[in-house]
Amino acid sequence: MLFLSSGFKTPGVDGNSKMKAIFIMNFTKLIEWPKAYRDGNFVVGVVGESPLYSELTKMAKTKKVANQSLQIKKFGSSKDIGKCHILYVSRNKSEDIPSVLKKVKSNSTLIITEKQGLVDKGAGINFIIKNNRQKFELNKKNVEKYKLKVSSNLEALAFTVK
Amino acid sequence: MNKKIYILFVVSILTSSLFGQFVGKDNLSISLFYMQKAELDSAKKYIDFSADDESLNTAAKTWYYRGFIYKELYKKNEKEDKTSPFRLTSIESFQKMLTLEGEEEFRESAHKILKYQASTLYNDAARLLDPENYQTAISNYDKFKSTMLLIDPKTDLRARDIKFKLALASMLNRPAETAEGLDSVQTQQIKSLYIEVLALDPNNPGANYNLAILFYNEAADIINNMDYDMDIMKLNEVQDHCIEIFLEGLPYMKKAYELNYKRRETLVGLSNIYYGLNDIEKSDAYKKELEDLEKE
Repeated sequence: MLFLSSGFKTPGVDGNSKMKAIFIMNFTKLIEWPKAYRDGNFVVGVVGESPLYSELTKMAKTKKVANQSLQIKKFGSSKDIGKCHILYVSRNKSEDIPSVLKKVKSNSTLIITEKQGLVDKGAGINFIIKNNRQKFELNKKNVEKYKLKVSSNLEALAFTVK
Repeated sequence: MNKKIYILFVVSILTSSLFGQFVGKDNLSISLFYMQKAELDSAKKYIDFSADDESLNTAAKTWYYRGFIYKELYKKNEKEDKTSPFRLTSIESFQKMLTLEGEEEFRESAHKILKYQASTLYNDAARLLDPENYQTAISNYDKFKSTMLLIDPKTDLRARDIKFKLALASMLNRPAETAEGLDSVQTQQIKSLYIEVLALDPNNPGANYNLAILFYNEAADIINNMDYDMDIMKLNEVQDHCIEIFLEGLPYMKKAYELNYKRRETLVGLSNIYYGLNDIEKSDAYKKELEDLEKE
C-alpha cells in the first residue's frame, strides 16, 4: 500500500492581508469622506512594500466603494504620495510617518499604519495583533482632523479608541 | 422394444447402485463422498443439510468440512469476487467449529485455511482502495482483522491497522491535489483516520504531518473564501474560528518537526501556521531555519 502525503494549499494571498483588506473595505463604509471625495475613483495608496498591495488590487477587481471604482496605488516613498482616500503605510515605512503627514495634511485622507504606537503619532487607524487576532486601534481625532466623519459603529468595533 | 427395455434396465441398475451406496449414510458422509470426488456443488448441498441437522450440527467435524468445502468453492468460483459469499460462509463455519467440543482435532488445519482466507481478504481490501470501492475495502479489512483474531485473539494488528488507515486516508485525500478540493465531510473523514492512527502510534510522522496540513488547509480555505464585504463582527468570528483551527494543527506539525520528518516541508508548515496565527516572529524564525537548511 502506498502512502502519499498531502500538500499545502497555496492560497493566492496570505490570510493576514486578506483580513486587513476586509477591514479596509469596512472602513470605507464606516467613515464618511467630504462631498468632493465622492466622485471619481476611490483611491487607496500603499506606501512601501507590503503583501497587502496585491490583496487590495485583487479586491479592487470586484468591489466598489458605493458607486466609486477602487483604485490601488503603490508609492515607493512619502515624496511620491498623491491624493488618496486611504493611505496605508507599511511597517517598513513606519519611520516616514512625519513626512507622510506633511504630504497629506491638506487632503481628506485616512492614514492607516501597522506599528505599535503610531496611532499616537498621527495615524487614524493602526492595525495591531491581540491574542493572535488582527485588530485595530482608532484615534478619532487623527481621523477627524482630515474632515472625515467616524461612525459610532466603527468606534464600537475598535480595540481601543483614543 | 427389447432394446428399450434393456436400456431402462441398465439405467435402473446404475441409479439404484449409486443411491444404494448412501443407504444408511448421513448427510455428512454423503457430502464427504462428493467432496472426495471434487463434486463441490453436491458436497455443498449435503454439508448444508448437515449444518441444519440436529444430530450433526453440534459436531466440530461438520463445521470443519463445511468451512473446507466453501473454501474450495471460493477458490473454484469466486476467487475474483472481492465480496465472495463462499469465503464468508467458510470463515463463519470455521468460527462456529472453533466453539465446539472436539475442535482440537481440526484446529491446526482450520487455522491454516483461515490464515489463507485472511490474506485474500487483506489483498482484496488493498486492491479496492479507490473512490468507488473503498467502503468494501473497509469491510474486507475488518473481516481480515476478525479472521486473524479467530486464529489468535492476541494477534497484534496495530501495524497493519496503521498501514491500512494511512493508505485509506491517502486515497481519500486525492481530491485535495485537484482543483475540486475536499469538502468538509471528506476532510473530517480523513482527519478521523489520522487521529485513529495517532491513537495507535502517537509518533507516526506521516499522520502528524498530514493531519497538521489538513487543519492548515481547512483554515486557509475559510480565509480564501471570505468575502471582502464581510462585516467586522463576522470577520472577528471567522478569525476566532481560523485561529482555533491553526492552533489545533500546530502540535501535530511540531511533532512532525521533532520527529525530523520531511524537514523542509515541516519548516514551511510551521512558518505558515505561525503566520496564520499572526505570530510573525516565530513564522520568520522557521523561515530562517528553512533558508539556512537550503544553503547547506
